[in-house]
Amino acid sequence: MAATTETVLGVFAHVDTTVRALEELRAKGYHDLTVYTPVPVHEIEDVLERDRPVSRVRLFTLLGSLAGLAAAWILTAWTSLRWGLFVGGKPPIGLPVSPPYVVIMFEMMVLFGGIATVIGMVVLGRLPRLRTSASFDRRFTNDRFGVAVHCAPARSGSVREILRAAGAEEVRA
Amino acid sequence: MSVAGERHTATPSYGDVNRDVMATLRPPGNLYFAWMCIVGLLLTCFFLAWSYQIFVGMGAAGKRTPQMWAMYITTFVFWIGIGHAGTLISAVLYLFRARWRTSIYRAAEAMTIFAVMTAGLFPLIHAGRMWFAYFLLPYPNQRYLWPNFKSPLVWDVFAISTYLSISTVFFIVGLIPDIAALRDGSSGWRRRIYGMLSLGWEGSDSQWRHYRRAYGLLAAFATPLVLSVHSVVSWDFAMALVPGWHSTLFAPFFVDGAIFSGFAMVLILVLPMRHFFDLRAYVTDRHLDMMAKLILVTGLVLTYFYACELFTSWYSGEHIEKASLFWRLTSTYWWALFTMYFCNCVSPLILFWKKARTSPVILYVVSILVLIGMWFERFNIIVPSLGHDFYPYTWGIYVPTVTDSTIVIGSFAWFFLLFLGFIKVMPSLSVVEVKETLPPPMKEAAHGGHH
Amino acid sequence: MKRRDFFKIVTATGAAAAAGGCQQATETILPLVVPNEQLVPGVAAWFATVCRECPAGCGVLARNREGRVVKLEGNPDHPVNRGGLCIRGQAALQGLYHPDRVSGPQRRNGAIFTSLGWDEALKAVGERLAAARGAGKGRGVALVTQLETGSLGALMDRWTEALGARPRVTLEPFGHEAIRAASRAVFGRDAVPSYAFEDARVILNFGADWVETWINNVAFPSAFARMHAFREGRTGTYIHVEPRQSLTAANADQWVRNAPGTEAALALAVLKTLIDRGLADRAYAGVAAQIDVKKVADETGVDAQTIEGIADAFGRGKPALAIAGGAAASGSNATQVQTAVALLNAATGNVGKTVRFGADWAYGKATPYAEVAKVVQAMAAGEIEVLLLGPGVNPAFTLPGGLKAADAIKKVPFVVSFGNLPDETTTLAHLILPDTHWLESWGDYAPREGVTGLMQPAMKPIRDARPMGDVLLTVGRAVLGAEEGKGPLPWAGFEAYLRAAWEPVMKGDLAGAQRRGGVWRDVASAAVAGRPAPVEATAAKLEGDAGGYALLAYPSLRMYDGRGASRAWLQEAPDPITSVAWDAWVEIAAETATALGITRGDVVRVTSPHGAIELPAYPTPTLHPKAVAIPIGHRYARYHVPRYVGAPSTSQNPVALLPAAAEAGGGIQYLGVRVTLAKTGARRPLAVLQATFDQDHRELARHVELGTAREEALRGRTEAHEVLTMYTGQRYPGYRWGMAVDVDACVGCGACVVACIAENNVPVVGKAEAAYGRQVHWLRIERWLPDGGKPEAQNFFMPMFCQHCEVAPCEPVCPVFAAYRTEEGLNGQVYNRCVGTRYCGNNCPYHVRRFNWYNYDFPEPLEVQLNPDVTVRQLGVMEKCTMCIQRIVAGKDHAHRDEKRPVRDGDIVTACQQTCPTRAITFGNLKDDGSAVSKLQQSPRAYQVLDEIGTRPGVSYLAKVVRADGAGDGGHGAPRAGYPPAADIRPPRQGGHK
Repeated sequence: MAATTETVLGVFAHVDTTVRALEELRAKGYHDLTVYTPVPVHEIEDVLERDRPVSRVRLFTLLGSLAGLAAAWILTAWTSLRWGLFVGGKPPIGLPVSPPYVVIMFEMMVLFGGIATVIGMVVLGRLPRLRTSASFDRRFTNDRFGVAVHCAPARSGSVREILRAAGAEEVRA
Repeated sequence: MSVAGERHTATPSYGDVNRDVMATLRPPGNLYFAWMCIVGLLLTCFFLAWSYQIFVGMGAAGKRTPQMWAMYITTFVFWIGIGHAGTLISAVLYLFRARWRTSIYRAAEAMTIFAVMTAGLFPLIHAGRMWFAYFLLPYPNQRYLWPNFKSPLVWDVFAISTYLSISTVFFIVGLIPDIAALRDGSSGWRRRIYGMLSLGWEGSDSQWRHYRRAYGLLAAFATPLVLSVHSVVSWDFAMALVPGWHSTLFAPFFVDGAIFSGFAMVLILVLPMRHFFDLRAYVTDRHLDMMAKLILVTGLVLTYFYACELFTSWYSGEHIEKASLFWRLTSTYWWALFTMYFCNCVSPLILFWKKARTSPVILYVVSILVLIGMWFERFNIIVPSLGHDFYPYTWGIYVPTVTDSTIVIGSFAWFFLLFLGFIKVMPSLSVVEVKETLPPPMKEAAHGGHH
Repeated sequence: MKRRDFFKIVTATGAAAAAGGCQQATETILPLVVPNEQLVPGVAAWFATVCRECPAGCGVLARNREGRVVKLEGNPDHPVNRGGLCIRGQAALQGLYHPDRVSGPQRRNGAIFTSLGWDEALKAVGERLAAARGAGKGRGVALVTQLETGSLGALMDRWTEALGARPRVTLEPFGHEAIRAASRAVFGRDAVPSYAFEDARVILNFGADWVETWINNVAFPSAFARMHAFREGRTGTYIHVEPRQSLTAANADQWVRNAPGTEAALALAVLKTLIDRGLADRAYAGVAAQIDVKKVADETGVDAQTIEGIADAFGRGKPALAIAGGAAASGSNATQVQTAVALLNAATGNVGKTVRFGADWAYGKATPYAEVAKVVQAMAAGEIEVLLLGPGVNPAFTLPGGLKAADAIKKVPFVVSFGNLPDETTTLAHLILPDTHWLESWGDYAPREGVTGLMQPAMKPIRDARPMGDVLLTVGRAVLGAEEGKGPLPWAGFEAYLRAAWEPVMKGDLAGAQRRGGVWRDVASAAVAGRPAPVEATAAKLEGDAGGYALLAYPSLRMYDGRGASRAWLQEAPDPITSVAWDAWVEIAAETATALGITRGDVVRVTSPHGAIELPAYPTPTLHPKAVAIPIGHRYARYHVPRYVGAPSTSQNPVALLPAAAEAGGGIQYLGVRVTLAKTGARRPLAVLQATFDQDHRELARHVELGTAREEALRGRTEAHEVLTMYTGQRYPGYRWGMAVDVDACVGCGACVVACIAENNVPVVGKAEAAYGRQVHWLRIERWLPDGGKPEAQNFFMPMFCQHCEVAPCEPVCPVFAAYRTEEGLNGQVYNRCVGTRYCGNNCPYHVRRFNWYNYDFPEPLEVQLNPDVTVRQLGVMEKCTMCIQRIVAGKDHAHRDEKRPVRDGDIVTACQQTCPTRAITFGNLKDDGSAVSKLQQSPRAYQVLDEIGTRPGVSYLAKVVRADGAGDGGHGAPRAGYPPAADIRPPRQGGHK
């Protein structure tokens, strides 16, 4: 691994400096970056999201919701037809669906949808992981911003240069 | 707390936020333990009373014909209602990008979950054979016995379990980056535990983009959910024939009341935190003002609903409906009704006064009154309506017993036990979202933040 | 198939099953008609016997399962009660399985009873008797029993004769002696005649409580229904005169409230009016000559116009019937009252039509109260050496306080009681020799001439007991020194004696007679001529403070003279008029109560010259202001306290306040003293189960005026409004069960309540719980007043139970389908599935669903009575009327499997329907247009309670038919009165939401 690529990490105290570094790197054609921020920052996102697709989490959500809806409809319809009991003068089921069952369907749609969303987030975000990656620094959840550049060992020098120039407090491999 | 104490007014930096939040997790003082003792004591009584009731039967509680429901369902609805403010703050205000929510939403969400957990006890406590309560779940069994999906009680099961799950998920998702921050701020076994709980969160760009998308979607789900849940609860009554219950007004009426009481509870929880954790820098007067305004508005809406309720049953010309109303107003339980009117309609009016909206003391008193009023609202819906319904032969008066009173009071202990525990192990202030509201640190741009 | 045949079959098979239950006893408990090879366990056996809860002597069928009697039903073949059974008869089982029941002989040392062997006990009795005879004090042996008209009575008399003891005394507190005296005076017969209610068009009643206790409270309501219940426009008129609105009065078309003790004057005033109007035989002019109607009006508080109205109605109703009785007519002038009434009947030619001598009631054989009093005085004087008290007699409780019976008994050196339940008298006995319960005994009883009911053991004795007859024979022979087969008492045992006695009567068909329940023959009514016996219209003389209130100690529907009180079922079934359960109370006129500042539940001290008792007050608007009323017979069994009720502060027995008045004749004076009232300041809240008698314009109990009812009866039902629904209706593949309740026929006697309890294993919850709305009764009797009506106006009695709604509010709210709709139109309740959310209980508009707030236990040995066909419900589940689902299943099995045909009317009879003396309840298949219930539900009077909610109940009620404003126009009711003037024809009240 280490032989092929090397990771250079720049630690920044300010958003604007971080953004500057990112612009610089992208201009130089470095696209394999990981940016660590304590909070999501618009300025940084603007730079990164330019050429990226929207998160696929919403797909999970959609499928989950539909699954929930279907499951609820099947559950209510099947069980009530299975027994075919009249209660309160009402037949077991009205087609396509008895009004009371709409409540169940709604709730299960929300439940499945919500859980699917979280699963989506966890999966796509490569979570959970037992230990943090090498380039991570605990300051990044506090008040520092980090830019990790994955590049060929040969080019690490210039990367360091760019980061320093952008105003990184600290640069390390 | 001294450090933060010096700079109430100054805008804190990212670093300050982490430090101040960490500070809330410092080992607690005697006052905290004193509270815990009281709570523990009440909780013991709660469980003793409940065990006794399970042993001898529901007769231990003061229920009877015609009040087959009474204080348990009252308190159940009360707690469900409390929950709503939490979700409203965390989800609805999130969608509306109301930035002032950030410093209180964590506490509010915790409140939601604990309130729903408390409420969830009551159907069990209330059931004549609670050991068979699982009959209400649609679990596969060899005899193909299924619940009756037409029954509002089964709707409850679904609505409330969904509500609990989604709120919890929402809550945990919100916590992940904060726990990561705690992890990096702490050491030793705490660090290891937080490390696990944070799922190894790093705050890398890819994590953030999925995170933010997911959070938005969850908020979008939670919003209709919170409205549906209390509507469903209200249908427990609206779907029944009982005069005083059988009304289409109930869904919005209940939802509004829920938000009303919810915000009161948020204030009751946040004001002391603000004081003892010295979070004035984060929970500013503006926040109080906002919440006060919400209480005021929902209170006024509630008053309108009360008026509607009275008017419709009078205007219906329906003899039995009118008789029930008249009895509620004039007979045995009149005091409960008028307590409710005072607490819910009159007491919030003081919040028209700006000073009152930012005065913790007044807010606190109003909030307590509101909670009392809202408990009595549910009581007045359930007990007097049943006491004077269709059939004169069985009209009767419900009298609480020691058992059910103890259980009702004990439920508050259960709630506060959970909450007090929470604020000492988890960030009751959202590190990330508070930072988001702060101006990001810039080198060039002029700002009063970092120094 | 007819009940009779059914009953034949099951007796044969099931009696053997009974044997299976208790092997060693087979021979002793089964009529020998049952061959032992027919053992079919699990099948019920039915034994015909005679109810001995009171002297009425109704025929009952005892349902025996696995050797234990689990239910009693009226014997449909019995001419007296025709299948009906009263509330006390239904509760008799609780006497059989009474937790306090004495087991084996008991000897008293001081206050403690210790048991001893039978031989020892009998020896002790024998020695005592021998000693008494030896000392030449044979007359010092007294035998006091309840009314025993049959072989047992004969044996006892033979026994007393053989031993040279005093003539036997039969002690019946309600002996109707005044009727006998009057009959002697007017008709020259010492008898209680039979009264043919069913043949009368107008009944004028001076206080006789025939719904509660009078003579036979099954036969008369049943006959009354045939005379009075509205059928195709025909109905009779019933006028009731009494200072208090008793249950019987509450069933009157016109209730006239007179001043206490003035019945005689009133009756004579009516007679005079009749004669003046030429409506009566002038031969009787003399007896009423001195009557001045105006004066009577002042004296009685009944205005002259009303008196004339009564006379008019009575005179025009041919035949009419006048009767008198009850507490109000039992004053010092009891005989005058009865004589005046007898004269009314004689003068209007009712004798032989509605008043029949010949088939006389057995009460005529009871010992006159004066004789009883003499014996008591003899005891007090120390003339009695040995006192033998039969079962069912409780002189210490039932004899007037003035007589000081308890003290007298204490003076007797040796008292033997044959009672099998501890009571006020057994505690005074030196020796208790428990008799077998009548359900465990051989015997016979003739309630009236021509009817001899046979008693046979329906089961083996559940406690160590011996038939009194056996004991008398054994002891008698021992005393006489004769061995078996010799002397005046040769029989080995009572059974042997009976068989000997029956042989000539049965003519070899003993088995048949036992299956039928007895032998009956028609008795030709004797031709009697009335004579205008002189009678003066004096008011009853009352002892005590002239400023006080006349005390009406009235026999209780539930307790009779106290025999019923040990049955928890009766204690918990509320009194139909006051709706009070468990406790006794003192009824005080509302005016008086206000004046004295007394409210319901205040403990009031009631003082008479003969004693004082403290009871909670029950102010009532209907009682005469000059009177207070207390029900007789309230006492608690040992196991009731504290299990079901806190011990009462004092005795609840008003009889203790009454004067001895032995010389007067005419029986015990239940109206004999004035009492004073004093608030004690204490409170004892009463368990009043009905929250209010005002139906608040909800049309729960509807009524229609007679004219309208007749119009509609001709025109038929007006078309019911269309039911709008968005749902496809339910289809019923097989049957659809339903019921109809005729409010016009229901007299509110409450027999159905206890029948339901007995059939369906309904637990007893006790006073406090019942008061707090936690009684578990599946069926309740409701009393309603008409909207806006005066309290003393018409009362409506309504059995209310699960309405088995087609659109049942209880069903959809149940989260687990515990409440659901069966394919046969029943409202099912699955106990095992019930979680106890009680949502259904809230949502039931009728509040007929009952919840098991606790695990209710059945104190040993009462659990033996539990119906094996019905689940005993567990803590935390809902329950309610099932329309006797177990009977439905049995009936269907019988029809389909045994007879290969669909179910017909009569195959299935619910417990409440079966016991109802007035046949107010009908059950059947609504899909069969020919069934009785369908016809009734189509009747113009049919309505459904709270139908505006749209629950579409499977139970319909038939509106009560009332006379225009109840009062005054008695003649109206008489069939020959024809249609009333058009002005009177108004639509039935639609007062609902005005």
